[in-house]
Amino acid sequence: MTSTTTDFPFPPHHSFPPFYTLQPVLSTRTSQLASWSHLIQAYCRHHRLFQLSLRDAADGPLFYNRALGRRLSLKDAREVVEWMASKEGGERAEWVGDKERDRFWVWWRRPEEWAGVIAAWVEATGQKNTVLTLYELTESDATASQEFHGMDPELLQRSLQILVKRGKAQIFGSDDSLGVKFF
Amino acid sequence: MGNAASSNKISAQDKAILDLKNQRDKLHQYQKRITVITARETDIAKQCLARGDKQRALLALRRKKYQETLLEKTDAQLAQLEILTSDVEFALVQKDVLFGLQQGTVVLKQIHKEMGGLEAVERLMGESAEAQAYQREVSEMLAGQMSNQDEDEVEDELDALEAEVTGVKTKLPDAPTQALPEGAQKATEETPRERARRRTRDQESSQPAEPMLA
Repeated sequence: MTSTTTDFPFPPHHSFPPFYTLQPVLSTRTSQLASWSHLIQAYCRHHRLFQLSLRDAADGPLFYNRALGRRLSLKDAREVVEWMASKEGGERAEWVGDKERDRFWVWWRRPEEWAGVIAAWVEATGQKNTVLTLYELTESDATASQEFHGMDPELLQRSLQILVKRGKAQIFGSDDSLGVKFF
Repeated sequence: MGNAASSNKISAQDKAILDLKNQRDKLHQYQKRITVITARETDIAKQCLARGDKQRALLALRRKKYQETLLEKTDAQLAQLEILTSDVEFALVQKDVLFGLQQGTVVLKQIHKEMGGLEAVERLMGESAEAQAYQREVSEMLAGQMSNQDEDEVEDELDALEAEVTGVKTKLPDAPTQALPEGAQKATEETPRERARRRTRDQESSQPAEPMLA
């Protein structure tokens, strides 16, 4: 369930050659970075990707437009991610492991936002005060129609931790068979 | 629900439910695996047939069949687990309901105690009835000072006020346009005074019959 079969409709600027070279003028550059950020988020949302690896994605359709013969260089891509992770970029990305700077989370929905989505679902389905397994939350048939179905387990844990901090949930059980109870 | 004190804690029951549900998840995963295996065996059988290796195709199909029986068995087990889980969850709800009922009963009893028992209520009701009777007597004494005519006038005024408030004008009947037959006309001409006189006459005429019997 990590990818959908339909193709992602790339926006027109994806076929615009200068898009692949970071612009020197600050205002142009900012709007370009914003466009990239938006594109990466939309792409990941479409394919339900939660993490990207720059090296893997470098040859993928996102950063490499084969029809155009243009690609975003690794260095520039890294800069885009840096910008996304910054306050200015709305913290829409986060490096996985600080040193490598290769894999990164793409927050097309931030963990807090996911927490809200899950809490709303629990509320709507009347499952407060019931025990649910983490597996069941993302893999069972009951959540097949939900956006968090097939969600990255690590991200799920992070989102649930936010609910725990707010006192709306409690996680318990052993490592590989965790459960959560919502309040 | 009722268990306010323990609502933010994980109880032993919760852990038991989690164990059940984890078991169920494991069965789910197992089923997924078997489904993948059966699909693969079918593929293998197809490939073998394409190569003309009937024996191997048969073998693959047999394996697939066996996996499918396993799948059926796990389905039954899964159902068992889910039933048990639901039962446990329902029992917990029942426990909460019981707790709620207990609390309610305690409060109800407390309120009853505050009301001071049945005798007190009876006494109070008696006193209240007495007071009401006294009040009625007072009203009667006060009302007695008014003549019937005064009462009538008061009531007429009330009617008039009511008509004014509701906006409904008392509609008088239309005067008859046709001449009435002879006998009827006479009867209507009888004034209340005449009627009273006629009644006394009737009474007098029927009265003497009784003393004669005595």
